[in-house]
Amino acid sequence: MKAVCWMGTHKIETQTVPDPELVNPHDAIIKITKTAICGSDLHLYDGFIPTMESGDIMGHEFMGIVEEVGKDVTNLKRGDRVVVPFTIACGNCLFCKKKLWAACDNTNPNAHLMEAAYGYSGSGLFGYSHMMGGYAGGQAQYARVPFANVGPLKIESDLPDEKVLFLSDIFPTGYQAAENAQILPGDTVAVWGCGPVGQFAIASAFMLGAGRVIAIDRLPERLALARSLGAVTVDYSENDTDVLTALKDLTGGIGPDSCIDAVGLEGHSTELQGVYDKIKTAVMLETDRPVVLRQAIQAIRKGGTVSVPGVYGGLLDKVPFGAAFGKGITMKMGQTNMHSYMKPLLERIEQNQIDPSYIISHRITLDQAPDMYKVWRDKKENVTKIVIDPWA
Amino acid sequence: MSALNEKPNAETLPASSGGAILQDGHYLAPPEDADGKVWVRTTALVQGTPQDLYALWRQVEKAPLWQEHVEEVVVTGVNTSTWTMKYGEKVHTSNSQILADEPGKRIAWSSVDTDPHEAGEVIFEPATGDRGTFVILLMEFRRGKLAAAWESLLGRSPKQRVIEDLRHFKAFAETGEIPHSQTAPHGDRGLIGGMKRSLYGENVPTPAGAVAR
Repeated sequence: MKAVCWMGTHKIETQTVPDPELVNPHDAIIKITKTAICGSDLHLYDGFIPTMESGDIMGHEFMGIVEEVGKDVTNLKRGDRVVVPFTIACGNCLFCKKKLWAACDNTNPNAHLMEAAYGYSGSGLFGYSHMMGGYAGGQAQYARVPFANVGPLKIESDLPDEKVLFLSDIFPTGYQAAENAQILPGDTVAVWGCGPVGQFAIASAFMLGAGRVIAIDRLPERLALARSLGAVTVDYSENDTDVLTALKDLTGGIGPDSCIDAVGLEGHSTELQGVYDKIKTAVMLETDRPVVLRQAIQAIRKGGTVSVPGVYGGLLDKVPFGAAFGKGITMKMGQTNMHSYMKPLLERIEQNQIDPSYIISHRITLDQAPDMYKVWRDKKENVTKIVIDPWA
Repeated sequence: MSALNEKPNAETLPASSGGAILQDGHYLAPPEDADGKVWVRTTALVQGTPQDLYALWRQVEKAPLWQEHVEEVVVTGVNTSTWTMKYGEKVHTSNSQILADEPGKRIAWSSVDTDPHEAGEVIFEPATGDRGTFVILLMEFRRGKLAAAWESLLGRSPKQRVIEDLRHFKAFAETGEIPHSQTAPHGDRGLIGGMKRSLYGENVPTPAGAVAR
């Protein structure tokens, strides 16, 4: 089959690789009909997430048709149409029973690698480094899906792929971000980063009763999408615009009730701290650039909630913990507990409350993927979201 | 206390079991390596009753399904068995005997007349709050420092192997299978990719757990 492979930092190639096979009794083989490039794939492209091996198949947002199932998969059969969540969960461990699916104990074959860095391992993920399982990803024509009796969501209506594909990651991730923000009716919510997750966080914040959502970014196409959802926007790249001042101005001086960092470890800043982070990451004294996290902790109102769906990988420097303590804030974060959100959000799509396909800007083939990684990283061509048809 | 540092032994729980974590409410640290003996103690919280998990562990002939490097186990008596281990191309056979067998609570065993010597003990304790069972595993090896270093270089240290085996046991008991990704399709690994696999312990084959079809 054809697959998009990571061959080193800034090196992505479309290669011909062997087809996946059933290995375990709860496996399914999925013929992929649509897949996408996620913002977090850029952390692999840019070499920020360790333990990638050359040849690894990229991609964790995908859907398709069930081709074959292992002997213990009872709820799926050949021909079923499914969306696959990017986190893999066993359904039987203590954490799955607590619905903390992303913390599953049993799905990471390389748990010891993550334990060395994090103390404990979370669940395995598709196509996202060997520390997180070493599973082949979904930017390919087929994928093996472990624990298929727990993960994939069956699509029984005739909704087009593009409306349901984002249930595989970014829609639930944006929704969990809004849920983690502990929004009460009428609250003001600030969202840093108007990429796909930021967009769904904005839409979800409104669904959960936010009175005002403030969207922060620098790219006109993204800010326009945010305004189309009803958000007010702050373009931090404009002359004289200071984000903290803007947030105070827009909240009567008290700050947002909730702040959502939908940017994560590769945040940019033109200020001194941007230079500082660049130098520190270059000499490996820091692994992440926590520009937005610093700003969110400063901006949040006293007693407010900071929610972090943006991916952080390692060790951060100069995070204002004194401010976090002094204001008595709450912080909630983590990989998405996908399995809790997919079905309820599918219902919202079916009821026409939202059409997630509005964020798609590019539709490409597997062969075009290597070039599009660069376009996506550099935010050229007004890119907002790239969807791949593996059979085109 | 001396018994704790001596060997996994046949005395009753909990006061003097080598693998015990608590004694009279006091936390006991794991034994320390000394005199060519390598100790490793690891624990897992496993969903299931102590009785069921004990029964799974006691079926030694099933060990190849969840223990790394184990090719075959032949039961030779009520408390004895013969183990065939495979390390790459090297095949190694050893005899094992069970020293203590308390259904639903504890098993202790030791190798017989084989080099290198190994002994172990597993304890099954109900966890608080209906959370399942604490499975506590203590193993003792005899290895020179060089031998242990050599094994680590080739794949896993003996200590990490014990940790991985309990992890496999937990997955096998909770889900009926063990997660696998070593056979995942991929593009050209190249030299660096191949070196990383060895570094990450991915060259040690994951036990089968179960078959797919």
